[in-house]
Amino acid sequence: MEISNLPISPSHRGKLLSAGYSTLASLSSISPKQLAEGPSTGASLLSHTAARTAWDMLTDEQTTRHITTFSGELDAILGGGIHCNEITEVGGAPGIGKTQLGIQLAVNVQIPVEYGGVGGKAIYIDTEGSFMVERAHQIAEACIRNTLDRSILHRKDLHGIEAKMQPNNFLSNILYFRVCSCTEQIAVINYLDKFLEEHENVKIVVVDSITFHFRQDFEDFAHRTRLLSGISLKLMRLAKRFGLAVVLLNQVTTKFIDGSFQLTLALGDSWSHACTNRVVLYWNGNERRAHVDKSPSLPPASAAFCVASEGIRDALPHYKRPRMA
Amino acid sequence: MRPQRLLDIATEKCTLGCPILDDLLGGGVPCGSVTEFAGESGVGKTQLCLQLALCAMLPPSRGGLSAASLYIHSEFPFPLPRLRHLSFHFPSPFPSPLDHVLVRGVHTADELLAILDRLGDLLSRPPSGVPVKLIVIDSIAALFRSDFDNNSVDLKRRSSLFFMIAGKLKEHAARFGPAVVVTNQAVDVVATEDQSSRLRVGNYASLRTSGRDVCPALGLSWANCVNTRLFLSRSEQRPPKAVDLGDSTSEGTYTGKVRRIQVVFAPHLPESSCEYVILRRAY
Repeated sequence: MEISNLPISPSHRGKLLSAGYSTLASLSSISPKQLAEGPSTGASLLSHTAARTAWDMLTDEQTTRHITTFSGELDAILGGGIHCNEITEVGGAPGIGKTQLGIQLAVNVQIPVEYGGVGGKAIYIDTEGSFMVERAHQIAEACIRNTLDRSILHRKDLHGIEAKMQPNNFLSNILYFRVCSCTEQIAVINYLDKFLEEHENVKIVVVDSITFHFRQDFEDFAHRTRLLSGISLKLMRLAKRFGLAVVLLNQVTTKFIDGSFQLTLALGDSWSHACTNRVVLYWNGNERRAHVDKSPSLPPASAAFCVASEGIRDALPHYKRPRMA
Repeated sequence: MRPQRLLDIATEKCTLGCPILDDLLGGGVPCGSVTEFAGESGVGKTQLCLQLALCAMLPPSRGGLSAASLYIHSEFPFPLPRLRHLSFHFPSPFPSPLDHVLVRGVHTADELLAILDRLGDLLSRPPSGVPVKLIVIDSIAALFRSDFDNNSVDLKRRSSLFFMIAGKLKEHAARFGPAVVVTNQAVDVVATEDQSSRLRVGNYASLRTSGRDVCPALGLSWANCVNTRLFLSRSEQRPPKAVDLGDSTSEGTYTGKVRRIQVVFAPHLPESSCEYVILRRAY
């Protein structure tokens, strides 16, 4: 690219041209310090060689795919669904539905593009042994039924793709890793870089849960923090490099705040900065709810959802809810 | 490092010996994960575990695992007479079924950890030649009730022991494929005016047994360590109708209390419950 075509002020352009730089390529090997010391062009010019404009980033963000959760309300507070290119942490008490959400996302990521989905594969890293194939099969079946039912309404004619939508196909597109220790967990995450180069079209990585192996005896908490931030950095790089969504499931613990014990996500304060988005699942009476706790782009909001035999769905409206004994 | 093919993984289940209980659990106790039976004293946790150990010896065609079991107990003595009595009602393909229930007593959590460290040897080279596919720990709560005070250092130490024990159990479950069953006690819950501050774990806002509000012992940390939690309870009621005992030699009407088993949380089961009775011979 010619210097004369760069969107910079004429005085800067003139200085660069008179210093002998005529193309962008000739600038790329110069360090900012050298250029700044040169004909006082200012280090700000270098931003054109490496940085991107906010406009470009906005366009990218608007075209980012979202992975639906199949609960309309939950999708709404998430801005359309789980974002690709970002890390989303989902935490909650045992039994609230974290693994269910993880499996639902690993299935929903595979909805073909023709049906409004992302059409990708899933990597599921299971650290606790909660992943049950029969449940994944049940959720996949219901997802396929749901997707095909909706398409009938839109009168789409996609027989070829329809034939591929079988529960067994969906299961074979979930690349499942079972890790049994802290070192195995770190090793798998390190390995993902190479793995993702060889396996194309993975659009989501679910880690269920990120916490379990890190709550054992760590005498040196600083060491634990270093390991965890190393993990989150690697995952962030993977998310950006391969354009995939990373979902980390976390447990809860109690913390003594303001004179009472309150529920917080595990792994401490330093971990709370590691993820792009944070969603907390909790009970409100007999209703399951999700709350967006932290996000650079989403307002704090909460939504109700339920865990049905088909998977994650919208909560039933109050008058339809069955009475619990 | 290669991902596992999900279609090749078939989760085996071990029958509990009763088709209705099996139905509640989607076929039985699953292999490869940790299932907890929580309930007050005397509700039947040990009986259920003994029955499970015998059912594990049954062939897969009858819902079993054709396997031996390891029974780690922390409450003494081990109920050998009851096991012997039950074994008469569970015809086993093995000539001496009690040879295939390996029993070990432990007194402290550290002892349990030491056994779990060496468990890999036992699982890869079982002494009786029959593979061990069921591990029972009865009960986990007894190991933690006395050694720990109620201060933050001890609670932290206790909590990290939970995760170490659960980590080892799950590692063995994943590598060798046994079903792991742990029993837990129930503790009373103090009734507070502010019901919303009570932490809810699982499908039920409160669990009741014998007319009291209870919750499983060992707190939130341990709840994070198990995959499936089942709650056994005793109600104050008698069974509504005569229980069909199906055996001409036993008493005419059942006079015990109705018991209930509830799914508190499970990755593969919906919230559900069913009632059962304990008979002299079995569930």
